[in-house]
Amino acid sequence: MRKALRDNGLSIGFGLLFLAALVGQAFAGQADFNDRQLAEAGRQVTLVQYVTSSDFAVDVAENWQSEYLQFFLYVFATVWLVQRGSPESKLVGKTGTESDEEQKLGEYTTEDSPAWARAGGWRTAVFSRSLGAVMGALFVLSWLAQSIAGRSAYNAERLAQLQDPLSWLGYVGSADFWNRTLQNWQSEFLAIGSIVVVSIYLRQRGSPESKPVGDPHDTTQDSG
Amino acid sequence: MACAWAVAGCGAGQRGEEAGAAAEAFVAALAEGDGAAACGLLSPEAVEQVVSQEGKDCEAAVLALGLPAEASGTAEVWGDRAQVKTGSDVLFLAELEDGWKVVAAGCAPQGERPYECEVEG
Repeated sequence: MRKALRDNGLSIGFGLLFLAALVGQAFAGQADFNDRQLAEAGRQVTLVQYVTSSDFAVDVAENWQSEYLQFFLYVFATVWLVQRGSPESKLVGKTGTESDEEQKLGEYTTEDSPAWARAGGWRTAVFSRSLGAVMGALFVLSWLAQSIAGRSAYNAERLAQLQDPLSWLGYVGSADFWNRTLQNWQSEFLAIGSIVVVSIYLRQRGSPESKPVGDPHDTTQDSG
Repeated sequence: MACAWAVAGCGAGQRGEEAGAAAEAFVAALAEGDGAAACGLLSPEAVEQVVSQEGKDCEAAVLALGLPAEASGTAEVWGDRAQVKTGSDVLFLAELEDGWKVVAAGCAPQGERPYECEVEG
């Protein structure tokens, strides 16, 4: 049990942080929603009603989609783009999908390579792109959920303000949808750009996101 | 109640029917000259506005407004709000503790801006 906790500390730790933050968001969001309901002479909602509402769903989904977009783009961008000196980058000159030898494919697979890496053909082709593909699919699904929940929440707001509701296409072209989307995207792109550049010059002893403290600034792809 | 707070709109479902029935009861009360019944279907804020605008009690004031009284159409429901378009009017409703109530009636479109309504609470 103790070994399982130790071996999976990162995923368990962040899983618990995620749940705690989501619960906090539910309470804060309910209070905020009920404040707005008072202003618009609407009825108050319980916590259960709030967490099953489109208002809660759109606030959750708009953040999820941007996080999955961040990782989707990062996974793909780092195949082709490099940053000299950054532990987030592979070596300059290694851009592209690399050779079978470097990727341990074909005749270079080992006995403990994953089955689909050893299989060859379409299975290996799919497995070779599975990380980016799943991140991309989660991004698309979250963004779709944002558009559906966002339309529902926005239309309730529009009706409260005596305006006609919008169709799904009308909402996807609306300022509300793009404001929610882009305010999340810009922060994700800033965060990635920051860690790539700052990690060239700064260190965090013991973190795989950092180079070893004594490494020179121009060392790329090294962590410790 | 599940549909009430569902992510997707459920205007054609049971809640749409309930909102549509409230709107229909409101216009039917107007058509029959039953001010008390019409006032019972208005939100508290709408009652206040009607009374203060006409300077009469709600029962008389709501009939004095001359609101369109055609049979109501289908309702579009989003969250706790609904819109019902009839042949000659647009009604807005809210789902309050005691059911669907009319918050705005006698509404005319103003392009991109909100509807202007004779009753607006």
